[in-house]
Amino acid sequence: MATVKNLLKIKGTQVWSVPVTATVRETLKLMAEKNIGAVLVMEGEKIAGIFSERDYARYAAQRESLLLDEPVSEFMTRAVYYVSPQQTVEECMALMTSKHIRHLPVLDEDHNLVGLISIGDVVKQVLEEKESTIQGLENYILGRGYSG
Amino acid sequence: MATVKDLLKDKYTQVWYVTPTSTVLDALKLMAEQKIGAVLVVEAGKIVGIFSERDFARKAADGSVSLHSPVNDVMVGAVYYVTPDQSVESCMALMTAKRFRHLPVLDGNKLVGVISIGDVVRQLMLEKDMTIQSLEDYIWVHMI
Repeated sequence: MATVKNLLKIKGTQVWSVPVTATVRETLKLMAEKNIGAVLVMEGEKIAGIFSERDYARYAAQRESLLLDEPVSEFMTRAVYYVSPQQTVEECMALMTSKHIRHLPVLDEDHNLVGLISIGDVVKQVLEEKESTIQGLENYILGRGYSG
Repeated sequence: MATVKDLLKDKYTQVWYVTPTSTVLDALKLMAEQKIGAVLVVEAGKIVGIFSERDFARKAADGSVSLHSPVNDVMVGAVYYVTPDQSVESCMALMTAKRFRHLPVLDGNKLVGVISIGDVVRQLMLEKDMTIQSLEDYIWVHMI
């Protein structure tokens, strides 16, 4: 079964982030430019939070304001779930499904940020694995059928 | 293979929508209340657009939205849709190719539901697991 490390090899280790001092406007501009749904908010080398399109839409509705000049740190989600490179892709999927989250940062054993995976990456991988299991089983049945 | 109709059966088929003159704020409040990522924009029973969290974040980034402007100004007007008889796999292909998370379902001219990428993925996973299970059963019964 594929691990997070395998997944990062395919999708790359690029992580887009803003510093805690960034405004909402700067953060949204980065998300638009990179066409991504969420960015990490960093305090130096440490993850301070994550900010998503959903967070933005919800806070704008609640505060009845576009919030563009406010600091993003006010609206980010602080409790950030993460995974390690050794975890399986299926574990990530279970975590994302149960917590209703679309993005997971990847931290190595020294707590260095080494990547960010999205629900799209994970789903694609899990579906491919299931498909190749099906192929393998079908080949096994056909192969045995022909030879035996 | 499952169709869109099967998906809608398992799902509460309430469709949340706003009208073109509703404000962006109205749309966002509805999305927050219903915990959904997008709303359809409907006029006289016809879909005229869709508005998502992503559309909002993008328009806000380039400064082209006000919370009090009509959703008509910021919605995406060309809406792709599927029909109840289409396969779930074809929906997945469309959503992946166009990077959509939501697709309205039209039966003739009638709006009968909205499916999300989450619904579609769940169904595809389930089908593949069932296929794997039945192939394994076959091997146990016939080949071991």
